[in-house]
Amino acid sequence: MERVQLSARQLFMLAILFEHGSAIVIPLGVDAKQDVWLAILCGMALGSLLFLVYYRLFTYYPTVPFTSYSQQIVGTFFGKGIALVYVLYFLYIAARVLRDFGELLLTFAYPETPLFVLNAVMMLTIMYAAYKGIEVLARAGELFFAFLYLIAVLGFVLVIVVGVIDIHRLQPVLEEGWKRVFKVVFTQTLYVPFGEMIVFTMLFPYVNERKKVKIAGWLAIWLSGINLALTMAMNIAVIGADAVSRSTFPLLNTIQEIRIANFLERLDVLFMIALVIGGFFKISVFFYAGVIGAADLFQIKEHQRLIYPLGLAVLLLSIAIANNFAEHIKEGLNIVTIYMHIPLQVVIPVLLLIIAAIRNRHM
Amino acid sequence: MTIKRWCLFLVVLLIHITILSGCWSKNELTDLAFVIAVGLDKTEDGKYVETFQVVNPGNVAGATQRGGGSGGIPVTLYTATGDNLVEASRKGSKKISRLVYYAHTNLVVIGEELAKEGIMDVFDAIERNPQFRTTATVVVARKQTAEELLSVLTPIDKIPASQIIKTLQMTEKIWGENLDVHAGEIIEALSLTGKEVVMSSFRLEGNKNTGKQQKNVQSIEPYAKLHADELAVFKKGKLIGWISGEDARGVLWVLNKIRQTALSVDWEQKKEAVVYKVMRAKTKVIAQMNKGTPVISVFIEAEGDVGETLVPFDLTNPTQIAKLEEKIEKEIQKEVQKAIQRVQQEKSDIFGFGEVIHRSYPDEWKQMKKTWNERYFPRLQVKVKVDAFVRRTGLRNKSYLK
Repeated sequence: MERVQLSARQLFMLAILFEHGSAIVIPLGVDAKQDVWLAILCGMALGSLLFLVYYRLFTYYPTVPFTSYSQQIVGTFFGKGIALVYVLYFLYIAARVLRDFGELLLTFAYPETPLFVLNAVMMLTIMYAAYKGIEVLARAGELFFAFLYLIAVLGFVLVIVVGVIDIHRLQPVLEEGWKRVFKVVFTQTLYVPFGEMIVFTMLFPYVNERKKVKIAGWLAIWLSGINLALTMAMNIAVIGADAVSRSTFPLLNTIQEIRIANFLERLDVLFMIALVIGGFFKISVFFYAGVIGAADLFQIKEHQRLIYPLGLAVLLLSIAIANNFAEHIKEGLNIVTIYMHIPLQVVIPVLLLIIAAIRNRHM
Repeated sequence: MTIKRWCLFLVVLLIHITILSGCWSKNELTDLAFVIAVGLDKTEDGKYVETFQVVNPGNVAGATQRGGGSGGIPVTLYTATGDNLVEASRKGSKKISRLVYYAHTNLVVIGEELAKEGIMDVFDAIERNPQFRTTATVVVARKQTAEELLSVLTPIDKIPASQIIKTLQMTEKIWGENLDVHAGEIIEALSLTGKEVVMSSFRLEGNKNTGKQQKNVQSIEPYAKLHADELAVFKKGKLIGWISGEDARGVLWVLNKIRQTALSVDWEQKKEAVVYKVMRAKTKVIAQMNKGTPVISVFIEAEGDVGETLVPFDLTNPTQIAKLEEKIEKEIQKEVQKAIQRVQQEKSDIFGFGEVIHRSYPDEWKQMKKTWNERYFPRLQVKVKVDAFVRRTGLRNKSYLK
């Protein structure tokens, strides 16, 4: 384990950037049509319960990451198995988000650049960040947090000022009832992005203010949940539920509607910045968690030594993962949710918590 | 540092030079053809004809410096034919020496024949292309092809596409019989069952052949002129009718698009004697259910001044003003009711009343949705309530007429 320290504030900012990550630019939970903001808020509420599970596990074992205490809870053999699965899961999700990022940039801004080049450039940056360690990443996070918020506020104000928002587009609320909303909550918004906070179980031991971990995590989940819900509601109020559900990037379409006095227009660059910053932090956190998890599991003292092989693996995996964008998205929504998110974000942590609670009561 | 590290450092720097410059697919300004307007038509054998109005950058800049007119022509027109828009656009490269670049396309013109056949499939390419903006204005070329409408030189705004867009925006703002509709709004209307497409048309008047030449802008009265024409009413993506004059303005009232306009009311036996200038207006549309049948209420609020009186009229008297306000309210109400009836005859819900019902009564809407345009909309009961306020009377109160 690295000997570094994060403050609760850094954890909060890192979690915010992580949660916004790609979620703010992709059509998150749009199957709920105009009720998507409700689906996000419900996902947020349930996500903060899930976070409580991760936090309780941390309070039992405050000095070691998830991959270590899984071994303490269910024994070395099964614990190592679980740890390995999680390491692979983090690296796989890092590859998925990297692919997302590359595809998004490719569709919109760099149609003639090969995917591999974009992904490789991004991955090199991320590998460098991971090499420097979590403390550097967290400090960069503090900088970019302010920057991203400035852009977000600017974007919001501009969209409101331009007057392209039509609140009526959000009606009828609950057209198909709560069923459609909860279907989206339990198949999408709970896991991405809120359940993905599981990756922070690898980072909690670095935080020097242990008492503040819970509140920092919760605040991050709530703030990002509200922001995401607001953003999706804004997208719908500007371009309509139908266009949002057909769009590859609803936020981009919304930003393109900004036209002020024939000179302040084409603000797509705001969208690009949000995409790159969010993508960078999301992939970095996953990748870093995967790397230190592997280092922890295989007892390697310097995690830096794993960065090149694992980075290369993530990069190649991100290319090999799917033949086209549709396949990639479909896999993400169906297979990954059922076979990875649900067991790894919900089932295993809850089981581990139950066992840990029983064990620690007897101890 | 050792020599080995220095070498490594240099290699990294060199890699950065290639990566950071970001010139993977660079396009120099001189390699791009800026398409300012796109015209769409169909040939007899069902192929698309795409017309590009391409800016001639040198001549635009030169024209403003020299005071206009003396240089070359500010835009050039190209056409290309293909089975679909992407094919036509790419085939255009046979005639244009530069890359056809759509990021500055602000206008899409649809030929009347194509509009009648249906515009359902032309917007997909526009929506899908990352260069193209859905904020581009869309108009129908009235009684001609899009190509003909785009092949005319205009005197005041050198670029014909700008002339069309600016005219449309200005007339929508101060007169209110035409609509500046964006591609995004059209796509939304095409995707909703409770709303149909409506957009403005433009017409070319005069000598088409002279209109193409520099001569057109060297005459005090151009040989060929562009002007905004009637509103085109679509149903399921097909052009089915035209709405003009006061009916068109009535449509804009309902759509909450009126910002300023002028209307006249009768006063003491004299027809159209007092002119009211609307300076601000706001419309709200609300749906209600009355024993299972939908009722739409349109609330209009207008604020404005007196612009002209053709009869002796004491505007210092508030009771007279109140009387005038009442007359104005009736006039607007009449205009709007007439427009609604006119549109109901076309059986196409361009007002989006269906969407208003959908939003307030989603369950009831499910039953009405399928036969909305045929059964419900033509017989829909629409209540119009107008509140008009006369705020000021200009620089005079009483008229010099006695």
